[in-house]
Amino acid sequence: MTDPILSVDDVEKRFGGITALDGASFDVDPGITGLIGPNGAGKSTMFNVITGFLSPDAGTVEFRGNDITGMRPSTVADRGLVRTFQIPHELPEMTVRENLALAPRDQRGESLLNTWTRGSGYEQDERNAQKRAVEMAERFDIDHVLDTPAGELSGGQRKLLELARALLTDPDLVLLDEPLAGVNPTLENRILDHLQDLESEGYSFLFIEHDIDVIMEHCQEVIVMHQGRVLTAGDPEDVRSDERVIDAYLGGDADDGGDGE
Amino acid sequence: MALSDFLVSLLTVVGVYTLFGLGLNVKYGFTGLVDFGHVLYFMIGAYVTVVVAMPSGAADYAGIGGFALPELLSALPLGGFIGWLLAVAVAMTAAALLSLLVGVPTLRLREDYLAITALGVATILHSVVNDEEWLFNGPFGVREVYQPLGGAFPLSLGSFTVNLVVFGLPSVLALGYVAYRVVRYVRPVSRDAALFTVAGVVLTVVGFGVTTLGGGAVVAAGAAVIAAGVYAVSRGVRVAGGFGRPLALFAALVFALWYLVMPAVTDSPAAVVVNLVWLFDPTTGANGAVTYSRFILLLTGAFVALAYLWCERTVNSPYGRVLRAIREDEDVPEALGKPTFKYKVHSMMFGSALAAAAGGLWATHIGFIDPGQFTSSITFFAFTAVIIGGTANNKGVILGTAVFWTLRTGTRFLDDYFPAEYATQLAALRVMLIGALLIVILYYRSEGLLGEQTYDTGVSPRGESSD
Repeated sequence: MTDPILSVDDVEKRFGGITALDGASFDVDPGITGLIGPNGAGKSTMFNVITGFLSPDAGTVEFRGNDITGMRPSTVADRGLVRTFQIPHELPEMTVRENLALAPRDQRGESLLNTWTRGSGYEQDERNAQKRAVEMAERFDIDHVLDTPAGELSGGQRKLLELARALLTDPDLVLLDEPLAGVNPTLENRILDHLQDLESEGYSFLFIEHDIDVIMEHCQEVIVMHQGRVLTAGDPEDVRSDERVIDAYLGGDADDGGDGE
Repeated sequence: MALSDFLVSLLTVVGVYTLFGLGLNVKYGFTGLVDFGHVLYFMIGAYVTVVVAMPSGAADYAGIGGFALPELLSALPLGGFIGWLLAVAVAMTAAALLSLLVGVPTLRLREDYLAITALGVATILHSVVNDEEWLFNGPFGVREVYQPLGGAFPLSLGSFTVNLVVFGLPSVLALGYVAYRVVRYVRPVSRDAALFTVAGVVLTVVGFGVTTLGGGAVVAAGAAVIAAGVYAVSRGVRVAGGFGRPLALFAALVFALWYLVMPAVTDSPAAVVVNLVWLFDPTTGANGAVTYSRFILLLTGAFVALAYLWCERTVNSPYGRVLRAIREDEDVPEALGKPTFKYKVHSMMFGSALAAAAGGLWATHIGFIDPGQFTSSITFFAFTAVIIGGTANNKGVILGTAVFWTLRTGTRFLDDYFPAEYATQLAALRVMLIGALLIVILYYRSEGLLGEQTYDTGVSPRGESSD
């Protein structure tokens, strides 16, 4: 058994009187891990806490053995843990090319002084960022819209852009918030194929998904959240047959769209 | 006062506020920071430039200052001028540091809260400057404004002929170049659109002519003819299928009539020559000279050119890309590992430093500063100018500022064509005109006259592309 890449320990988060996370703990191993749970289980809140968009009221988050609890999102991303958003956050007035070229880390042209002097590494880094943007666009079949403002893309293209942009930061672990929501079946299969390929290249994913068949087929492990806690975690087959999971989640509204979080 | 003096003064004001607007555009246009307190840095720039350059023990001044930088450096060639430039640099640094202090608590707020908080901070500090006499002399203002190279002006090179050739010729060439560019730009416009526009100009001029005859019904008739002229121009815009060329033609014709034709009719042909050699003032001194106000215009032009290139370099870069990403959706660059707070602070500091440079020039242009010159309406003038010209477009700032200040102060001479009793109404009408223009632009072309500019990081993006 390898060391977990991400460890969440006893995390609590309250919004006024509402307890969104109530002592949730889990480990994520390298590979593809699914995170499921009914609406309001705290999945998106958990993502926000892990990636630094929210500070937990209690508990710790460790990434590759280092405590990242309460760090700024940019610091967390800089450590190699990057997220996507449930509703794609394309930058609408910037082209797809610019959306992608933004992502690579440690660009020396992103310092104000170096921008003015066009000093060492400015051109080299920018050429590299542009080249990688094009390559990633080709990989995800959005290279024909490189010079289109991202706001004019279709819903599916936005999902792909969101994933491509996250990958350009060279992450170790990508948190995908419902990457398949509102996606047609053809594109869904393409995205899942991409995830499988990327996993074999060494990327790890933790993704929120509602379709239990997708989880069964593509995840090595699955974590089930319910009412701010982790109900159970482990092998998808075991989880599927777990009575509590069936009660909490699979019973009745298993194919709920789940957009209310 | 010759029309050329008026033109020089108008262009200087446009230049100063362009510099101010470029700073606002860095914050608002490219980063999305709605800083309603931008005038604060203009004020700081003006005061710091003045008190750093001022000799100690100035009369009627009880505030801090008197560092006499130009005097300290007077041994050097151009020492006084270098000292003044250093004073501006000090002012820019002071404004940048002040915006850092203001920015650290406020930049964590979402944009509408930022706008209100920034306005609050600017209002508080304006009150402090106005009320605390020990600081910058309070409401009495500062009269001791250093004039860089002031001793060299009015500049005359001896004989009248030499002056005319050295200063007059470049002036005429500059005017000619502008005319050439306008003609080249307007030329593709269709014949019908051009005819409508020319008819509009003629009607407008006739309308103004009629109003000078004075009195109730005649003024109303003149105003009706002016309205018909405006309608004809709007027809021209519709026929042309774009507003740029007909409006440029309209503006050029009106300018030519006002600046060259009218003086020949009402004054003398000599007045036209005086206007053509605008940089050179033949009436100053025995042999004519370049006046100090013309030097200030050139100095302002140099500042604007440098600031424009500086802003272009800043936004055409990966750095500028992060700024725009923050404007579009701050969560994205943050989630991708860009420390957005740091970027916002830098953008604030840079924009504020440009506003401070504008303040330093303003003080030098106007020769006397007091807190009354730095009310928050200056901020809103700049917002209006930036929105008219095109938010997130550095050229748009220049155009928008020129349109704004031409409408605001350049139309003042039109008062002469109306009976004097209408002066108050006309002043109100000018403000309404700008408001109406802003509404028309927001309605029909919310991105401004020029729209957002395009970007190029200086590295060919297609170099490695396979498509």
